[in-house]
Amino acid sequence: MPDKEILRLENINKSFPGVKALQNISFDLRKGEVHCLCGENGAGKSTLIKILSGAYQPDEGGEIIFEGKIVKLNPNLAISMGIQTIYQEHTVFTHLSVIENIFTGLEMGKNGVLQKKEMKKKTEEVLKYLKSDLDPYALMGDLSSGQQRTVEIAKGLIFQRKVIILDEPTASFSVSEIDNLLGIIMTVKESGIGIIYISHHLEEVFKIADRITVLRDGQKVSVYDLKDVTTEKLIKDMVGRDPSTFYKREDVPFGEVIFEARNVTGNGTKNVSLKLKRGEILGFSGMAGSGRSELMNVLFGAANIESGEILINGKVVKQAGPSNAIRNRMCFITEDRQNTGLFLNQTIAQNTIIANLVNTREFFMSPSGDNKVGDKFIKLLGIKARSSRVRVINLSGGNQQKVVLAKWFNTNGEIFIFDEPTRGLDVGSKQEIYQIMVDLLKQGKAIIMVSSDMPEVIAMSDRVIVMKNGEVTAELSKNEVSEENILTYSIGGSKI
Amino acid sequence: MTNGEEQKKVIKKSLFKRFENSTVLSIFIAFFVIVVISQIGKTGGSEFPTFISPVNLMNIVQQVAVPGMVAVGMTIVMISGGIDLSVGMLASLVAIVTALGLTKWQIGILPSVLLGIGVAIVLDTILGYIISRTKVEPFIITLGGMITFQGLALLLSNSREVMMHGELDFLKTNLIGGAIDPVTGLNLVIPPYVLIFLVIVVVGWLLLTFTKYGRRIYAVGSNPNAAYLAGVNVRNMKLSAYAINGFLVGIGSVMLLARINVGIITLGQSLEIDTIAMAVIGGTALSGGKGNIWGTFFGVLLMGSIGNAMNMLRFPPEVQYVAKGIIIIIAVSISYVYANVSTSISRLSKHKFSK
Repeated sequence: MPDKEILRLENINKSFPGVKALQNISFDLRKGEVHCLCGENGAGKSTLIKILSGAYQPDEGGEIIFEGKIVKLNPNLAISMGIQTIYQEHTVFTHLSVIENIFTGLEMGKNGVLQKKEMKKKTEEVLKYLKSDLDPYALMGDLSSGQQRTVEIAKGLIFQRKVIILDEPTASFSVSEIDNLLGIIMTVKESGIGIIYISHHLEEVFKIADRITVLRDGQKVSVYDLKDVTTEKLIKDMVGRDPSTFYKREDVPFGEVIFEARNVTGNGTKNVSLKLKRGEILGFSGMAGSGRSELMNVLFGAANIESGEILINGKVVKQAGPSNAIRNRMCFITEDRQNTGLFLNQTIAQNTIIANLVNTREFFMSPSGDNKVGDKFIKLLGIKARSSRVRVINLSGGNQQKVVLAKWFNTNGEIFIFDEPTRGLDVGSKQEIYQIMVDLLKQGKAIIMVSSDMPEVIAMSDRVIVMKNGEVTAELSKNEVSEENILTYSIGGSKI
Repeated sequence: MTNGEEQKKVIKKSLFKRFENSTVLSIFIAFFVIVVISQIGKTGGSEFPTFISPVNLMNIVQQVAVPGMVAVGMTIVMISGGIDLSVGMLASLVAIVTALGLTKWQIGILPSVLLGIGVAIVLDTILGYIISRTKVEPFIITLGGMITFQGLALLLSNSREVMMHGELDFLKTNLIGGAIDPVTGLNLVIPPYVLIFLVIVVVGWLLLTFTKYGRRIYAVGSNPNAAYLAGVNVRNMKLSAYAINGFLVGIGSVMLLARINVGIITLGQSLEIDTIAMAVIGGTALSGGKGNIWGTFFGVLLMGSIGNAMNMLRFPPEVQYVAKGIIIIIAVSISYVYANVSTSISRLSKHKFSK
């Protein structure tokens, strides 16, 4: 039905330094259609919608065809042509009202005076059409995230957009809000708007999709009409890497249980239990927002534990803040090294000594002593820097990550939490970090690893716990670990 | 970033970056050289430039000793990621309380001094408590503190000055009585408060550089999230920075009272501006985690020298504000200018090599 087509991408490529984020993507969207994009973390969904919204420019060669014309998009042009993107992170003005949020930047005016009545009338009309009982004067900040999404969609209707893109809209929704939003999408679709919908939740996809496109590692794998596809088929398409290309790590014999969590609840996670042995890597998998990092914060004492208990070496410990965790020989390599791991404008030496201050008694310290510690780890971990007086901000990502490791190794920790240990690193640095992790295991230490990088989880983990919505959905033993199994438990509907 | 790029970045490190205090030091030296040359130029070289005569240098140190003490505290607060606008009015309040203790309430010298310093510590600690326990900007909280302290000081003094009768004169006795400046033939003077200033500088330096506490303060200012996860008690570290600052304001205020001999609201006027400027000239960053006491020390001396030099060179006093302002701007922007110049030089040389 080419006459109903609004948008078509032909052979779109996008590469970033060292990564091909999209390869030869072709994609099309029709009027009044909900077209869902599926794929693992990092499959290229977000890059694709950033190209559609004009935030990224595709590489040379491909074409974007909008209503039959070849276009070159930028954010302003995309909006003026009628492509509205509703991002995962909220981009609303919390101190302004619903009306003001809808009309910001596109206020209706006459001779420089706002047409407030006109704007209110339009807002009310659209909200009524969407069967929403929102007050047009309500402050955006007082609304739930579901209601905020409704307002953003209302904006799309008022300005007669032709395409609305929703990126993970239901991430923080309650069940009723999800149903409500899906209902609104069905209404909007009737008016002829084309909708691109991205979600990790396959049950939502099956409720509203007309067509589904599956991406994997930046490539388009398949496109289906809803009636031709099953959950199993989708998951098969989303996985399918060759496991022989994964990193091969040495196996290390396990020792006794060093760390245990019993029914831990708090910080958005519910009732999580786990056991970790010396010499073992326990992987945590799940989609973004499944509560893995939140759980790690609870285990480390950086977020409050509501109920449940944590045992180290068989003894119940109090989780009273990170300093206590460090005394209990825990280490936490966070996912965002620049914001929560490093002191960027400080030297390697200053970064290295800071966590171990909890364990030392001496009040007096000398800078030359710090530098010795820094130099020791520069040698030990192969950090590429002239001396330990180099500021961390001048190091590459891989070397920065090693400084984070140095900080924790210096505390003599035994229980390591690695949250996305190799995010943003090149292949060489990744393998170095993997080798360091295996060396830790050989010393009888234990590792909990959160990772969204599927090959990493599969290659490195002895066991994998899969999480979804803050809860554990599966614990997979070494021979059960496969891309398909992990994905099934992290996105599959409740029926699985 | 590849390893090659990173190596280049390391090599390219400039002199300005290698020694933390080279910016303030070079401005300091340049300023002295300019003043001395213009003095020599004026007299045709027939006289020794009086600007660098021992008696004048002592004079400068005496003038900056009190703001210098407070600048040390301000540096610690700013390294911890905060700022304290209340120091000026806090100093006035403390001076008035101490002066009242000495005259009206007649509680004796030591109790009055301790009372004044105690008030300073308690009040600044309260501000620090609010700052460390809420997410309100320290700028706002200490601005509120400044206005409150001003009001308290005016209430206590009934908006009048509190006259003293030299009760604190022992703080200005000359410790080197009889020493003569060989250049000018005038008496050299070192009062106790100059020594106290130098002791505070050294102790501040030791605290920041040679203790666990110092490392934690830098960590908190540099990245509070990372500091928390590394086991640092971020809230109490911030609180302690204000407590230390309060202590130094207390001492400085008593010294100021000894010098002026009258407790009055104008004593601490614009002290916050001066001390922030001194710290900033010395390389302390408003964003926290960066700065050091010796940098501040030279910032203090530089700020004190400007007014003095302007007098010596017979400029009208109004000019010194302009000079001070321009020097602050130069001090904080020179490293950026230098970085830009050095990158364009390296770009040029790369261009040459590629040809």
